[in-house]
Amino acid sequence: MIQHLTAIWKFRHFLLALVRLDLRLRYRRSILGVGWSLLNPIAMTTVFAVVFVQLFGGNNPKAYIPFLLIGMAVWGFLREGTVQGCRALIGNEAYIRQSPLPYGLYTLRTILGQAIHSGIAFGIGLAVTVACQKDFRAIGILWAVFPAIVLAFLAAWSVATIFAFINVYFQDTQHLLEVGAQIVFYLTPIMYPREVLDRGGIGWMADLNPANLFLELIRTPIVTGEPPTADLYLTVLGITTVSIGLAVGTAAWLQKRVVFHL
Amino acid sequence: MAKIELKDVSLTFNIRQQKRVTLKEYLVQGLFRRSSVAVHALVDMNLNIRDGDRVGVIGHNGAGKSTLLKMLAGIYPPTAGTRTVEGSICSLFDISLGFEPEANGWDNITYRAYLQGESPASLKKKIDGIAEFTELGEFLNVPVRHYSAGMLMRLAFSIATAVEPQIMLVDEVLAVGDLAFQKKAQARMKDLMSSARMLVLVAHDFSTIRAMCNRVIWMQHGGVMMDGPTDEVVDAYVQSVTGPTQTPHVGAIATAA
Repeated sequence: MIQHLTAIWKFRHFLLALVRLDLRLRYRRSILGVGWSLLNPIAMTTVFAVVFVQLFGGNNPKAYIPFLLIGMAVWGFLREGTVQGCRALIGNEAYIRQSPLPYGLYTLRTILGQAIHSGIAFGIGLAVTVACQKDFRAIGILWAVFPAIVLAFLAAWSVATIFAFINVYFQDTQHLLEVGAQIVFYLTPIMYPREVLDRGGIGWMADLNPANLFLELIRTPIVTGEPPTADLYLTVLGITTVSIGLAVGTAAWLQKRVVFHL
Repeated sequence: MAKIELKDVSLTFNIRQQKRVTLKEYLVQGLFRRSSVAVHALVDMNLNIRDGDRVGVIGHNGAGKSTLLKMLAGIYPPTAGTRTVEGSICSLFDISLGFEPEANGWDNITYRAYLQGESPASLKKKIDGIAEFTELGEFLNVPVRHYSAGMLMRLAFSIATAVEPQIMLVDEVLAVGDLAFQKKAQARMKDLMSSARMLVLVAHDFSTIRAMCNRVIWMQHGGVMMDGPTDEVVDAYVQSVTGPTQTPHVGAIATAA
């Protein structure tokens, strides 16, 4: 694994050049460039805010909009990281057939691009939060959130790597992931507060849902200004470690065979 | 010092009837799965290539020539035996592979050069030379998806040879460029070889092999049929194809192949 990481480091120029290319292509495709990537979540959130603030927001848009924006940024990263990341090996087949680079590099290409994209959305969410709360609570708590962002990055990279390998063998992996993500989106308190599940007596589902735990770790401190508990951090650290372990295991198991299936 | 050493290397892989299945199909049919076909691409190969060797690899289609190159490059891991390759490798395989179609020629030079281990600083010194060698001029500002096969080959070859690799692995790509570029490419290959590096070249064009190589391996069914000086092995191969009575006229066969 150390070997793997040093090899990725050795080819960092290659990786970063491709990430830059991906972002350039992504933003060039729309007339508004980067603006579009900002406009889209803002438009979505405006619609959500208008409609759902009545339902879930307790008619308090100043609390609900930050909650929604940060939540969508975090969820967007986890979702797109996995769904797009699973294409990493298939999509980079040309490089794989040409040079023996570590496979983690290709998923990292997707995840890094996605992280920058979601980072922009996150930054906007943060700015809106400050504007809504009329103080700098949200900025002051960032020290407690930063490690959680690193963990989210590592977890998304690992999960994407696992599915990228599976995708080489099963061509409907991406489709199934999209379906799965849709289901998880509704099961996770992203647009609605967790109390909605508690009221229905299914709050335990939120406790078992890794996506929700990442939201609690990143979003909740920003909106409330309270640092997360050590217990929560340990749980998420455990989940991330397990997913890294699974990814390393999958790569070790399949890396010598996967090239014959591409 | 560069070195290539293969000890009893075998490479076997399974191919399924269908390349990729859906998970649904797999779950439904998985219980009654048809057996997959095992392909023995390389069988107990022993090979020792030293500094200064310019090795041509010939043989019928499907003899394992390309698989051998990919295994040497580290892309296909051997299923048995040991592969020792020391030295920086540059491989020219499928020329259209490994380009970003949406990016222009300049950007693709950058990506490929980084892929071959260059850093931004070292590339800066070389990039003009690479661009010049391609002779693509204004086309370098155009996305490479508009390039012809010959233009892609020019680009790929120019980048690959600019990094001065110790080991070059080439899979019959030279034939794609126009005549002028082929001459130029051969001249550059000779240049590279003169500084005592290794070349492994797969080609069906014997005039190239005769011009470039001082040793030829004739492969058959994933193993080495014959290994020796260029003329000896090529003549033997040509005789086996055309029959022993005919005196082979190599040029004619080369163009036919």
